[in-house]
Amino acid sequence: MDPENPQLGQLLVVVPAHNEEDSLADVLKTTKEFGYCVVVVDDASEDNTGRIARNEGALLIPLANRLGAWGATQAGLRYARARGAGIVVTLDADGQHEPAHIHELTAPLLVGTADVVIGSCPIRVSRLRRWAWHYFRWLTGLNAHDLTSGFRAYNRHAVTVLSSSDAALLDYQDVGVLMLMRAEGLRVQEVPVEIGSRRNGISRVFPSWWVVARYMLETTVLCVSHLHIPGSRRGDDRATVATRDAPRRHP
Amino acid sequence: MISYEWTSGVIGLLIAGTILFLVRRRRLHGPYALWWLGVSAAILLISLFPQLVNQVAYRLGISYPPILSVLIGIGLLLVKILTMDIERSRQELRVRRLTQRLGILDAEIAQIKDRIHRTSPATVPFPPGNANQQMGESATDAPRENEC
Repeated sequence: MDPENPQLGQLLVVVPAHNEEDSLADVLKTTKEFGYCVVVVDDASEDNTGRIARNEGALLIPLANRLGAWGATQAGLRYARARGAGIVVTLDADGQHEPAHIHELTAPLLVGTADVVIGSCPIRVSRLRRWAWHYFRWLTGLNAHDLTSGFRAYNRHAVTVLSSSDAALLDYQDVGVLMLMRAEGLRVQEVPVEIGSRRNGISRVFPSWWVVARYMLETTVLCVSHLHIPGSRRGDDRATVATRDAPRRHP
Repeated sequence: MISYEWTSGVIGLLIAGTILFLVRRRRLHGPYALWWLGVSAAILLISLFPQLVNQVAYRLGISYPPILSVLIGIGLLLVKILTMDIERSRQELRVRRLTQRLGILDAEIAQIKDRIHRTSPATVPFPPGNANQQMGESATDAPRENEC
């Protein structure tokens, strides 16, 4: 399967990456073993991320400027929409997400019970981050168990919504994107999956406490400004997150 | 007559409400809202503790305390304007580099299409046209201003 000319309705895997030369090759090899078309969005990396993507046979979208995780993901979604992909799966380049779980994510999309499926593993995060999630759930009324998982599957309707300029000024793929999905009436489902730890140390999204503090402030402003009004416009209480099974707990 | 504490309190709340409305309507990018919310918080603080300005002005040797608020307000506006110009300069640089890169890519795409068309016209994947049509926009959807 050729990511440059996917068949109409094909599944495309989008991997946003910034300075992930240590783990990208393994992620791409494993993903391609399952026969998936892979698009790597190189978010202005300063290392060999782009070269590795090309060497592994993935289609490379090299961004001229760093847009961040969501900006890079949206670039991949726009590409997928332009090429008529039927389902898009996003997974991280740091090796946390197992391509073997992709079929679990896509199953609800194929039977038509969801527009977006989130691979959920809330037990992987620290207590501090769980507190932050609890705080944002309280502010927004969102009921997703895993707010920040980048392991998601989108159908064509969801790709259209999230490719739009309404989503272009979001900086992160978590709360803001989930609120937009709710506002647009997308059906979101969570599926429990195993998510590992990063293969190499520092988070690209939260490299320091200062960045974390700014994230908390900016996301709070976003949540307060988008206070959910039940029954307003396209959003209503149908678009809550459904969890297929309870999250697994490791011993 | 309304006291100035109520007046400044209402002004602070109006600013905060307007900023949140603009963020909700996606007219104002969230990070930029922090500055303006900080301004409205400062105004609310002064309305709740009006003696604060007098005390600070006294310690700074300012004989007419209300002028301190005006001075601080003007100073913050100057800082805001300067940082906006710095940010605009950064964006101008990015726009120019992006424009150049788009032009180069358009030229390369046109060359590739031309080469394919000359060698095997039947297998051209996309009809001749501009690159915007490849991004899912129909020929009748003219790009809106500032829309990529």
